Amino acid sequence: MRSVYVIGIGITSFTRLEYPLSEIAAYPAMMAMKDAGRKEIDHLYVANMGSGRVNHQTGLASAVVDTLSLTPAGAEAIENGPASGASAIKTGYMAVASGVHDVVMVTGAERMREVNNLEATEFVATLTHPLAEYIYGVTLPSLAAMFTRLYMEKYGVTERHLAMVAVKNQNNALKNEFAHLQQEISIEGILDSPEAMTNNPYVAEPLRFFDCCPVSDGGACVILASEEVARKVERPLVRLAGVGQATDTHAVHEREEPTDLLAVRRAAAKSFEMAGLAPSDVDVAELHDAFTILEIVESEEVGFFPKGEGHLALERGETAIGGTLPINPSGGLKGRGHPVGATGIAQAHEIVHQLRGDAGERQVKDAKVGFTCNFGGFGNNVVCLTFVRGN
Amino acid sequence: MAREIYAYKCRKCGHTHYPYRMVCKSCGENEHNEFDQVPLPKRGKLLTWTRAYSLPADFEVPSLGLAIVELENGIRMTGQLRVDDPRMGMDVRGEVEIVRREGYDERYGMVFYEA
Repeated sequence: MRSVYVIGIGITSFTRLEYPLSEIAAYPAMMAMKDAGRKEIDHLYVANMGSGRVNHQTGLASAVVDTLSLTPAGAEAIENGPASGASAIKTGYMAVASGVHDVVMVTGAERMREVNNLEATEFVATLTHPLAEYIYGVTLPSLAAMFTRLYMEKYGVTERHLAMVAVKNQNNALKNEFAHLQQEISIEGILDSPEAMTNNPYVAEPLRFFDCCPVSDGGACVILASEEVARKVERPLVRLAGVGQATDTHAVHEREEPTDLLAVRRAAAKSFEMAGLAPSDVDVAELHDAFTILEIVESEEVGFFPKGEGHLALERGETAIGGTLPINPSGGLKGRGHPVGATGIAQAHEIVHQLRGDAGERQVKDAKVGFTCNFGGFGNNVVCLTFVRGN
Repeated sequence: MAREIYAYKCRKCGHTHYPYRMVCKSCGENEHNEFDQVPLPKRGKLLTWTRAYSLPADFEVPSLGLAIVELENGIRMTGQLRVDDPRMGMDVRGEVEIVRREGYDERYGMVFYEA
């Protein structure tokens, strides 16, 4: 297999966007082509989850390739729920590594604010098992809440730990001009003050409003290329060194150990194995914190910390920018926002900035190895990526 | 007649699945429909629960109790929970009732009460 490099990146603001979905996908693609200094693209993958249901538009890849005047290049959409973004990157990786294509554009977009919050929650809930979960009114926040209660009971995670993740990530987002949430928060305001229950009500007990990512519009793009092409691009080399994916039971109640996220563990292990690296080699990570509990649990399952000790590393400040292993310096899903199809690509976008050394105020010092975890369903389909600076 | 929700028992290895899948997860038996339907028990222990306040538009109620219950035979299932003061590990009993209305469609599922 050939080595695969990221030669260009682009992103939109994650917020409510008033332009069409195809343009939300195309705008970061134009930025990425400018970043790479080239317009020749062999193939296009578009990551998206809800265009048919939420935006009444199907065949999104055909719309995007034409919007960009990249026809007659091949193009298709990749749907893997909230892990669509990393799935599309993985597909692009295979296209370049195999030698089928030399330059592949992977762009992701979602326009979820077209509908109200209840309809957006309902749309995401269609990920759940139709007969065993969905009919009951089960949503992603409620699955995360039931999981959180088990985790609290077993490992001593508290609402304070969850609030610490929220504060860390949302305040990291203040250093990211593209992030959705631009509001500083404190433990006092969301947990300790007399107004906390008003500021931060339960969404699904024990998860509160500030434990959940916002519903966002947004797009992000990476351009992948062979080494021969990458050497001609005037950007620091960033190599996509490992891709790993794993699945788990569709219905969450069927998991043998209900506090495990086995697909995260297995996807991470495959990604590290392909890269020839270990979790201890990672300098900066973007984990899928759609709910605050997930950052803690994923930090354990991918191998950064022992099982049940992620919240202790958080307490010690290890996961803050300036800590030994900064997690979600971009703000994560919690602060940057979560336009589902774009999220996995936005994670990669942040890691490329970090490894190039141009992440500005949120730069992790001398980052050489970066890692992303993109979590689909409630952990039933997970894609992990490992990136390395230079060769 | 009391309504039932069914689990699926593999005719080859006896492994019982809920919900249905077409290929046995335990033995990989791949003949079409080689499962016997067995009713899920109605009693079990509350494994975990939540009260959800942000609900899909079909639910015109302010909040909804949801639970994962470990049934008497060890199989787990998700259902609605109507208990005032839920405690992990408490005994619950289930009844099959209407759990969702989608237009004129009525969907039946398990609702758990304090045993």
